[in-house]
Amino acid sequence: MKKYLIAGIVSLLFLTGCWDERQFKNVKLVLSLGFDQGEEGQIIQTVSIPSVSRATEGPGSESLQILSTSAHTPLQARGKIDRMIPESYDPAKVKVIVLGEDLAKQDIYPILDDMYRNPRSNLNAYLAVVEEGTAQDVISMNHTGATRISNYISGLLEAAVSSTHATGENLQLLCAELLEPGIDFSIPLLKIEDDGNLLTFSGMGLFHDKTYTGEKIGAEQTTLYMLLQGEKGRVARLTKKIDDHGKDEILDYITVSVAENDRKMKIENKDGEIAVTINLDMKVKIVEYPSDHLYVKGRIEEIGKKLSKKLTDESVDIISQVQEANSDVFGIGRRVKAYHPEVWKELDWREEFPEISIEPKVKVEIIQHGIIN
Amino acid sequence: MTNPPQQMTQQNEQKLSQRQFFFIIVQTQIGVGVLSVPYELHSVAKQDSWISLLLGAVAIQVLLVGIWFVAKNFPHDTLFTMNDKMFTKWVGRPLSILYIFYFIGVGTLIILLFSRMISIWVLPNTPLWVMALLMVTVCMYMVGGGLLVLGRLYTMLSFLLVFLLCLIIFSTKETHIMYLFPMLETGWGKIFAGINKAIFSFFGFIVSLVIFSKVEGTNKQKLKTIVMAHWFVTLFYLFTVFASFTFFSTSELPLVPEPVLYMLKTFSLPIIARIDLFFISIWVINVATSFATYLYLSSLGLSDLFKRHSQNQWIVVVGICVFSISIYIGLDMSKIETFNKVVTYSGYIFSLTLPLIMVPVSYLRKKKDKGGAS
Amino acid sequence: MVGIFLFIRGKLRLGDANMGIFTRFFRNNRDKLADRHMSEPSNEKERPSSKKLSENVKYILDAFHQSNDLKIRVLKKGDAALLYFESLAEHEKIHEKIFAPIEMGHTEDVFHLPNAKQTNDLEEVVRTLLRGHAIYMEEGKKEISQFSVTSSFGRTPEEPQNERVVRGAHDGFVENMMTNINLVRKRVEHRDLTIKYFKLGKKTNTNVAVVYMDGIADPMIVQEIETRLHSLDSDMIHSPGHIEEFIEDKSNSPFPQMLNTERPDRVAANLVEGRVAIMAEGSPTTLIAPATFFMFYQAPDDYNMRWFTGTFVRLIRLFSFIIAVTLPAFYIAVVSFHFEVIPDELIIPVKASINEIAYPPILEALVMVIIIELIREAGIRLPAPIGQTIGIVGGLVIGDAVVRAGLVSNLMVIVVALTAIASFVVPSNELSTALRLLTFPLIILAGTIGFIGIVFGMLFIIIHLTRLQSFGVPYFAPLAPLSLVDLKDTFVRLPMYMMKLRPKDAHAVKPIALNPSREWKNRDEQNQSKQGSGGNDQPSSTDDTTK
Repeated sequence: MKKYLIAGIVSLLFLTGCWDERQFKNVKLVLSLGFDQGEEGQIIQTVSIPSVSRATEGPGSESLQILSTSAHTPLQARGKIDRMIPESYDPAKVKVIVLGEDLAKQDIYPILDDMYRNPRSNLNAYLAVVEEGTAQDVISMNHTGATRISNYISGLLEAAVSSTHATGENLQLLCAELLEPGIDFSIPLLKIEDDGNLLTFSGMGLFHDKTYTGEKIGAEQTTLYMLLQGEKGRVARLTKKIDDHGKDEILDYITVSVAENDRKMKIENKDGEIAVTINLDMKVKIVEYPSDHLYVKGRIEEIGKKLSKKLTDESVDIISQVQEANSDVFGIGRRVKAYHPEVWKELDWREEFPEISIEPKVKVEIIQHGIIN
Repeated sequence: MTNPPQQMTQQNEQKLSQRQFFFIIVQTQIGVGVLSVPYELHSVAKQDSWISLLLGAVAIQVLLVGIWFVAKNFPHDTLFTMNDKMFTKWVGRPLSILYIFYFIGVGTLIILLFSRMISIWVLPNTPLWVMALLMVTVCMYMVGGGLLVLGRLYTMLSFLLVFLLCLIIFSTKETHIMYLFPMLETGWGKIFAGINKAIFSFFGFIVSLVIFSKVEGTNKQKLKTIVMAHWFVTLFYLFTVFASFTFFSTSELPLVPEPVLYMLKTFSLPIIARIDLFFISIWVINVATSFATYLYLSSLGLSDLFKRHSQNQWIVVVGICVFSISIYIGLDMSKIETFNKVVTYSGYIFSLTLPLIMVPVSYLRKKKDKGGAS
Repeated sequence: MVGIFLFIRGKLRLGDANMGIFTRFFRNNRDKLADRHMSEPSNEKERPSSKKLSENVKYILDAFHQSNDLKIRVLKKGDAALLYFESLAEHEKIHEKIFAPIEMGHTEDVFHLPNAKQTNDLEEVVRTLLRGHAIYMEEGKKEISQFSVTSSFGRTPEEPQNERVVRGAHDGFVENMMTNINLVRKRVEHRDLTIKYFKLGKKTNTNVAVVYMDGIADPMIVQEIETRLHSLDSDMIHSPGHIEEFIEDKSNSPFPQMLNTERPDRVAANLVEGRVAIMAEGSPTTLIAPATFFMFYQAPDDYNMRWFTGTFVRLIRLFSFIIAVTLPAFYIAVVSFHFEVIPDELIIPVKASINEIAYPPILEALVMVIIIELIREAGIRLPAPIGQTIGIVGGLVIGDAVVRAGLVSNLMVIVVALTAIASFVVPSNELSTALRLLTFPLIILAGTIGFIGIVFGMLFIIIHLTRLQSFGVPYFAPLAPLSLVDLKDTFVRLPMYMMKLRPKDAHAVKPIALNPSREWKNRDEQNQSKQGSGGNDQPSSTDDTTK
């Protein structure tokens, strides 16, 4: 009895097919996706499909196919593209999603809905916005060097993360901030330069709710901007002008590398008025200071004070930009909701955020200065 | 000697150890629901529902003492023979049959929810019968070894729970404690309403009543094991709830029915890029262990009621029943929901109300027996 | 028949006796004799010897169907005869110890030889002759003398081919059971070492010995083994593998339920742990029961290494179990179902490797696994130099050509080769074969429903291992039933002085294997520890197997 049962089951399994089989060799991989605003509310989807041919020894040769189509939704576009290629393409390994600036200025959630809904999609992908350009340009860029565009962009973004320029949030981590009221987010901006041969990281684009505001924190300021958010990559270097000697410009500058940063945010409720203080305590190492003379007594403390003042000033600048864009990247609103729920209920945070007072206080302490004084 | 030789011919009468009892309870409770517990709880009391979970756990704790009280009055009986003794044959028999139906119902629900989950997350085109068939046959083979084999197996497979915990811990690197606040936003009313959902996730403790007499040790030790198992499960749930509540924002969680999996989908390891697939594969084993328990319980009931056949034949009968019912219901979302409601509400009767009724009845019965004897 | 008589006559002529009576007697009765033999069953009953020499000789000759190698020497002018199998007995011995003294008239001396034995039973004589004894009979005497003059041709105990060790003893069992028992006895010099003989096989009469330590081994298990051996009723038993199938619990399982070894040190160690060994004449392989799954992963070398290395090696071996069983299945599931689990860095190389392969991966895998098995099977029985050639031709040439031709992806070659290597890591040949067999169902499951299939397959295997028992002992101990104490010699190999208790799965009657042995380490506390050493080794866990 038992034996027949087992035999029957086994043969049943053999008889039937493999319902969900998706042979990897029959799939066209898409590693980077681009979306742009098209005409009449349509979107333009651009994909780059690498195809590799096998070599008996060593790496195979690689060729890229760039396809672009316009449709009403991303999945419709996918269907259209499928009709252009011999096999079907699969976005399960998408590494970067690039949005055109025009599209990003509208609600970006509908574009990403498929990514969130499909169990196979890669929520680990990076999101980036193209500044003054279209995603199509970026994806079909004829860049120098042999790497794929997906590698190029993700490498660029990863480098930005490790040097404390960008948050490195992937699709899923953005999702919470996309949906939750009281938290906004910023997305890395890319810019094409050198006649389409070079791609640069040009700062962090500030989003309000689900749309790009058009405002950005420039690449120069992003390190401090990240530190203010309490995040630090592998290295965080700040180059600032602290002196004004007049003769040699280069002697006025100092570069420090942040060893430890400690950000504290204090939210006070003064009769319904929200006042925020952001304290940023940093311990830094001097890594570049051409004017030397650090052995002079009190010199280090002096530099520390100058730096603190300089950075506080810049922080004020950054925060005013953020408030101007009405992009609550610090999650102040969510904190107000969490810790002062009664205030939150009475406020319309969209209206309120640009008006509240946010006071940054940066304190720098120099702990090392390399192997020379 | 301290180590008396084992009786080879009396394998089946060997009793479970305390540790095996513990893991049988734990593995029965942690099953198909673990992926969606945070979502279910969140649907009522939002970010405060972890309080509901704790309150629910305390309520169940009281009930467990009741169950223990009932079971210790009948040191040689399973639930089914107990029914006969407590309510006489005329009430006890039908009651046992209802219990068996309930267990079969829960088993079927497990199969359905499991197949639906696999269909949503991993294999969208694979038909239901393949999943149901695999699960039912593997579990039939498992249960065929007897309770002792189940105990041994569950104990060993519990290493996987540690593994699941590690995976969840891995994903806690992106937590925002802030999301748990403001506390008590929804108010105590909602929190109490949430206890309801919390109790759902604990169903399965009834197994301790059924197999109580098949465990070695004093009554006190057994109570300790039951309580420990219960709090272990509570902690496990609490941990997953915290992990997913702090990972997802309050407005995102209602969109994600399986937050634990979704959370893992975000991260990648150097060797395996998608941890959620890994997690769901291990979770399959946890589902198998809970289904196997219900298969065991219902076949045990049948063989206790109709002494004519051995339990192994009943296992096959129950297996075929579960398989046919689940094929009949199919993967239709609304049908599964209806079935789910029927089973969970009958859970109120069979797992909550009836054991509570049994407490005084068993006490009286015992008193009467004693009086009769002396 | 004529040939036989010519032969016998020739032999008789050699002995300088009057052989007339015999020859005549045989000739007259040859047809009658043949008839009687057809009708007479091979009996084990007693048959008293007659006073008449000729009758006795006739009976014996009949019993052996006039076998040509049975030699008869007529002595004392026909009043006595010496019988022996020239194929079994040693000529030198017979000549020096028996023949010469009898011829010289010192008959009494011969009977006082230490190897002489008297009997009246002709059936016993038949049996002893088969054992290589020589028989001396005299006219008018009922007593028959037997002399043990067996010649044996045996290998010298040398290291078994498939269980080599780097450090430690380099001897192994041989085909002679006495030598084997000798090797064990020398290692376990204790009076509790008990050996029980059995005769198995109605036609082969193979000597089988059950060896155990009385007082350590569980008497229930010993008895169970004896019962199962007794109920074995077969014409032929030629090797322990043969016996194994008769007495094991489940022969429908791919897993071996008794440990095979040719190493005396391994047998000795297992005996002291409380297990039982079964040896058979004519085979160097010894069976050890009850066995558990993890015993097959222990090698004698582990105990000769430092314990760190021993542990490391053991972990490698257990890891190899997982690779051997699941790797091809995992690979197939990945490339035909879940390619999203491939890390970003690998996705393009993997894609490049399998892009233009004609066949689906499941077919690729099955073909490659079968090719590996072919190469292995072809090389295994060939002499070493040819075997190597096969390996090189098969492994290198075919492997390379098959990839170049684009029939199989190079990743698949890597996967299958790795699997094959991993399956050979297991110290036991039986288990290694079992593992390679288990790969196939898993490959098919993985090719049908991907990861979920592998999980179900593995779950099935684990359930099977948990349900399996070897002589009443759970096969998957110490994992199921879990016994944390016994993990000391399973996943890790702790220092020897920490293995205070015998493994529970052996069901030893005495659990304590050693008393504190490193007390010299804390000489200051010596007195205290001496007082405490009596009762601190009680077994602590309460697992179900001990009940």
